[in-house]
Amino acid sequence: MTDRVRLSRIVQVFGWTGLTSLGGGRSAYFYDAVVMRRAWLKSHEFIQDLTLSQLLPGPSFNNLGVALGVRLAGWRGGAWGALALLVPGALILLGLTLLYFHVGFTPNTASAMHGMGAAVVGLVFITTARMIRASMRGGRAIVVAAAIFVLVGPLHVNTGLGVLIMVPLSLWLHRPRGRS
Amino acid sequence: MILDLARMTWTFLWLSLICVGGGLGVIPELQRQVVDRFHWVTAREFLDGYTLSQLTPGPTMLVSIFVGYRAHGILGAFLATAAMFLPTAVLTAVITRHWATLRDRPWARACERGLAPIGIGLMAAGVYTLARSGIHDWATGSLALIAVAVLSTGWLPPVLLVLGAGIVGWLMGL
Repeated sequence: MTDRVRLSRIVQVFGWTGLTSLGGGRSAYFYDAVVMRRAWLKSHEFIQDLTLSQLLPGPSFNNLGVALGVRLAGWRGGAWGALALLVPGALILLGLTLLYFHVGFTPNTASAMHGMGAAVVGLVFITTARMIRASMRGGRAIVVAAAIFVLVGPLHVNTGLGVLIMVPLSLWLHRPRGRS
Repeated sequence: MILDLARMTWTFLWLSLICVGGGLGVIPELQRQVVDRFHWVTAREFLDGYTLSQLTPGPTMLVSIFVGYRAHGILGAFLATAAMFLPTAVLTAVITRHWATLRDRPWARACERGLAPIGIGLMAAGVYTLARSGIHDWATGSLALIAVAVLSTGWLPPVLLVLGAGIVGWLMGL
């Protein structure tokens, strides 16, 4: 498997994504970086890795970085991509932690976080809409996506349980048919 | 001390393994373990640490740094974070790499077709959850709508918009 993207570019872009992904819904920043702005991946490829990162155990943003890195540049892409993604935020949080415990800094940023949170809702909404427009094909896919949305969203079913219910159903609905 | 360090590392490791579909679902169990059971941080410290991790770029589960540092200094922060991220990253890399060799088979393509709507549905559920906690009055609703309008044009990087919204929120005292 040949590398699609140079390792140094992966470190640069993943590092920037790690440094700028503020306020939740962080996979939307990745979509913007590798699908919208650079066309390193097609939308359906991103969704494949996004889905995998959500189904596997572990923090999904980090899993997504590993999956995208492996796809773009093999093992080294996964390892360096994940490191580049984590290190900026880890260093900033370590600095804030030291300030908190040694200087008495207390996070009193509720107003700013409310503003950021509202913008992130808009960001994740527009990203999800783009993914749906680019990749959702066929009534079965729409039914499955709508069902897991209702289960995990409005009905507050635990994500793991929702996945356990819907994955077998979706795989059965999308099973290979005939010789094709 | 070494025993407690090992216990903390193990705790973050198994917490990472039950973390499916994002970090939010595991936060209550994380709090139970690090506050109520092992007393590595107080409830107030945990809340502040979680707030700091949300304020910081990168995964929210980097809260492991805060808890690990409080319990065992820099070594604790490193081990808790490695336990939270490393094993599942290796698992993801192995599965992704192996899957790439299978991708052209009909059953694998069917699997990808079947799993894609799951990912999109979970992302949409994330929008719903974020909206419920992030939009609570006309001001935050307006900010979200403005974000949608600006981002749909594609001329502004998301981080600038989010930072700008943070400044607006701070100035307005949302």
